[in-house]
Amino acid sequence: MALAVEIRDLRKRYRGGVEALLGINLEVPEGEFFGLLGPNGAGKTTTIGITTGLVRPTSGTVQVMGHDVVTDFRAARRCIGLAAQELNFDWFFSLEDLMRFQAGYYGVPPASVKERALQLFEEFGLMDKRAVKPRELSGGMKRRFQIARSLIHDPDILILDEPTAGVDVELRHMLWDYLARLNREGKTIILTTHYIEEAELLCDRVAIIDGGQIITTGSPAALVAGQNRDGLVLELAGDGAAAAAALDGYELTREEGRLTVTVSRPELQIAEIVNRVTAAGATVQDLTIHRTTLEDVFMSLTGHSIDA
Amino acid sequence: MNRVGFLTLVGREVKRFLSLYNQTLVPGLLTTVLYIIVFGNSLGSRIGPIKDVPYMHYIIPGLAMMNVITNAGANSSSSLIQAKMLKFLDDILITPLGGLEVSLAYILGATLRGFLNGVLVILVGMAITGMSVAHPLEALVFLVVVGWTFGAFGLLVGIYARTFDNIQMLMNFFITPLVFLGGVFYSIDMLPPVWRQISLFNPLYYMINGLRHALLGIGDTPALGSLLVSLAMAALFTVTAATLFTRGYHIKE
Repeated sequence: MALAVEIRDLRKRYRGGVEALLGINLEVPEGEFFGLLGPNGAGKTTTIGITTGLVRPTSGTVQVMGHDVVTDFRAARRCIGLAAQELNFDWFFSLEDLMRFQAGYYGVPPASVKERALQLFEEFGLMDKRAVKPRELSGGMKRRFQIARSLIHDPDILILDEPTAGVDVELRHMLWDYLARLNREGKTIILTTHYIEEAELLCDRVAIIDGGQIITTGSPAALVAGQNRDGLVLELAGDGAAAAAALDGYELTREEGRLTVTVSRPELQIAEIVNRVTAAGATVQDLTIHRTTLEDVFMSLTGHSIDA
Repeated sequence: MNRVGFLTLVGREVKRFLSLYNQTLVPGLLTTVLYIIVFGNSLGSRIGPIKDVPYMHYIIPGLAMMNVITNAGANSSSSLIQAKMLKFLDDILITPLGGLEVSLAYILGATLRGFLNGVLVILVGMAITGMSVAHPLEALVFLVVVGWTFGAFGLLVGIYARTFDNIQMLMNFFITPLVFLGGVFYSIDMLPPVWRQISLFNPLYYMINGLRHALLGIGDTPALGSLLVSLAMAALFTVTAATLFTRGYHIKE
């Protein structure tokens, strides 16, 4: 399958010596919904920056739809729409002007995007804000406008850097639906996030990035299967020490009265575990089955939480 | 070459300064009127004609050039530093516009603001003093070339600068003295010999006297020489600014 983005041995060392990327390799096929998952400072924004032309690579290459982002930057950049993490706009102009300018910068005659601009304003609920300047928008509206504008030149690839950071639940769901639809219609979408839920819900594949390195790549389901952290969570009366002793041989973690038993197929072990604990004189107040999340995968691969 | 992108960015630059006309067009006109009234009218009668030209007429080319220089320089420098500081420069850097195209678009926008200011000052000067223009075409050439020169200079400043204060300092400590010492209000023949020699090293002296020749038919230096000095400065600043911008100096990580 043709590759939308191909990253080879990409390194970035910032002036001042910070090594943001230690030689990463990534392939994103056309039409994929791809997630770059990692904590702040992992190298996500640097990877996006080099791909879009905002940051110069120290070494290595990035190709976008077969075009090198340095030597053939015009062709490469035409294929990309970027919704950056920060919401910074040219504050002198109305949304309508900014939409026209952005189309023009991409070489699309502003007159020919009038219809498309109106359609995007409509889809993102900004029809009545067209004549307004960005600073008069709320945070959520700014995010909507930013994503709408990144689509004005109808790029093959949409890159979103933390698109749902700081937006309310309603808008988050609206964006998720919209992005899923765009992807179904054929756009390649690459998003960076440190919201595990977002990656699990939307992405065909994710790469886990930490400390400037790709730790692993795969579909959320495959990653979860490969790092099974399923288990039972018992809430016990008291400190649970007796219960823990009764479960000798299981992989356990205990926090106060909460005992987590990591075991594959936990649903088949409920009776056995509860019996043992009860026989030891402990009282089970609550019991839940825990299914492995990307958060668990991240934790077991990197040794730390994604929010750390 | 991304022609549509280039023209869009030029259009953005022009629309920006036109929408800010209270800061970009009106102040120059106002100070010009004040200079003509105060210097031309009240002091001029005591200074008397220079090279057979009334003092009130004599200062108009200098005032026009002063406005071209400060406005062109301010346009590209402030536009770029705003884009850098408010971080919307990224909106341009991610597009298929090369560093040369972005540089030339900023310079051309600045040139147009400088040119427009110069023309307005000359028209106001003509209206107040009744001066007529000796070589109109030559005047237009000087206004464009000098506007371009300082548009490119302003871009260079905008690239280097990290804050607005950097720009203000450069204007106050560098451009303003050079403009005043370039003979806006006097002929260097009126200076002591040492200062006359020093003035010859001030490129603005050639630009001001070039326009003076175009407007009044007189000047301290031949017009062609003035034009060549201006063109050389324009080329120097343009190449330097465009090269730095393309390399991403103070622009990209």
